[in-house]
Amino acid sequence: MERQEIIDGLVEILKTVRTIDQEKLQNLTEETDFIADLKTPSTEMINIAAKAEQKFDVEFEDDDIDDLGSTVKDIVDLIIRTKERA
Amino acid sequence: MAAEGRRVAIVGMGGAFPNCKDLNEFKQKLFAGESLIRDWDEARAHGKNIRSTVSGYITEAEMGLEAIYSTLAAGYPETYIDHLGRIPDGNLSTADVGSIWSMIGSQEAIKMAGWSDAETESEQTGVVIGSGGAGHVILRTAWHNFFELKRKTRIAGSHTVDRAMVYRDAANVSCLIKNKGVCEAIGSACATGLGNIGYAYRLIKFGIQDRVVAGGVEGTSLETFIGFDAMQVLSKGFAAGESSRPFDTSRNGFVCSFGCGIVALEEYEMAKARGAKILAVIDNYHNNSDGAGNMFFPSFSGQKRLWKGLIGDLQIKPEVVKVHGTSTPVGDAIELLSVVDIMGDEGYHISAPKSQFGHMLGAAGAVELITSILMLEKQQVLPCLNSDVLNPELESFQKSPEWEGPEKPLEGYRHLISKEIVRKEINQIVCLNYGFGGTNSAMSISKHL
Repeated sequence: MERQEIIDGLVEILKTVRTIDQEKLQNLTEETDFIADLKTPSTEMINIAAKAEQKFDVEFEDDDIDDLGSTVKDIVDLIIRTKERA
Repeated sequence: MAAEGRRVAIVGMGGAFPNCKDLNEFKQKLFAGESLIRDWDEARAHGKNIRSTVSGYITEAEMGLEAIYSTLAAGYPETYIDHLGRIPDGNLSTADVGSIWSMIGSQEAIKMAGWSDAETESEQTGVVIGSGGAGHVILRTAWHNFFELKRKTRIAGSHTVDRAMVYRDAANVSCLIKNKGVCEAIGSACATGLGNIGYAYRLIKFGIQDRVVAGGVEGTSLETFIGFDAMQVLSKGFAAGESSRPFDTSRNGFVCSFGCGIVALEEYEMAKARGAKILAVIDNYHNNSDGAGNMFFPSFSGQKRLWKGLIGDLQIKPEVVKVHGTSTPVGDAIELLSVVDIMGDEGYHISAPKSQFGHMLGAAGAVELITSILMLEKQQVLPCLNSDVLNPELESFQKSPEWEGPEKPLEGYRHLISKEIVRKEINQIVCLNYGFGGTNSAMSISKHL
């Protein structure tokens, strides 16, 4: 699965999170930080992770979620790593 | 104890009301003598598994709301959209339906009160709002996914605590209005609505706060409804509009309804000094317990002590007694006789507004206080719908040798209860509400002269 394909999928998830400023999703890059740039409430990160598991058909380890950073790159890396592990 | 010279004014109100889009429509329908109780398709969908199918319910669409359902857990309202743009998305994400109604009602009450942002956000402004039930709609999905479907805790997302905790309504309102004073919830079953407002009254009367947003809420929830349905205490066998019938001989239970009532309270001299419109003045609030060791059965002596505590050494001679009047067989009879025992049998009317909208549980006392403020404003007593025939025979407990209350059957007090609207001078109303556990609450309010 290509990284851009994963980013596009993440954007689809983020469109459903109403507390995120939707206009900022247009220029999303791997360096975009969910909390600093998108102003995502930190409590929403677990919801985004759970939806990513469903969308990309993976199951994250709890430790990986605990250690997850807040950039788009962090979650793309985790999705790829989890898929490879499977 | 009460601080010298402090009185409490009611300066704003708002909320959510069955089959009404807002407070104005609620007022219009009440004083047109309408019933707000309807057949509930959500209950009817469960066929023979549910006894009662009538309710004063409120749909999301009626409140301008739309649920956004989770893609992870079937039927789970992940958050809501406010199509009328009243509540920001961030606040909606931490709220269940009842908390959203509380936020909307609080906005309306504060707007009516005319408080500035500085006043609302002050350390002297509190929030005291409670609910009868928990956040059942939220908890049911979270628990079902974890316990029955064996799924991870994160499936229901990260908001099951804030959307289901006991004081979720107060917390959500406080986060919305950014007050810096007290934020708490009082729980006393069906006395919750009046109990929260009574506690808020004391906060101001005792000099702890100058302003409080207070009330009770019960969000539409079949989960709440079925608990009472199982107890066989809900009205059954009547058309929707005839199902709540306080004092009538054929009454067989209450109508489980939902709603929200919020009032803005302010220290009287402060409200007067800034030229606020004072809707009513609170004369006193009193609450007690039956002390009878009975979770459900009402207590004649407990209610008499409630009145005595309310009256104290004050001049309380209401033209209207707004009763709890649920339409249950024993509750209505005990209550009518305790009122007559204290008040005598002339010079006042009894109002039982549950005849029009059913029993809103944790919201009942707050919405019925608002109903009473409207009666003060309109100078009209609302009708007691469906109170067709009062028992011409003595109640069984009146025949007991220990009975020390009024000796006439309920029919002997028919003249206190009108099926039609009564227009008359109303200066003072006493509001009564009781709850499981033998808890009793009473508040007296007066017209501002």
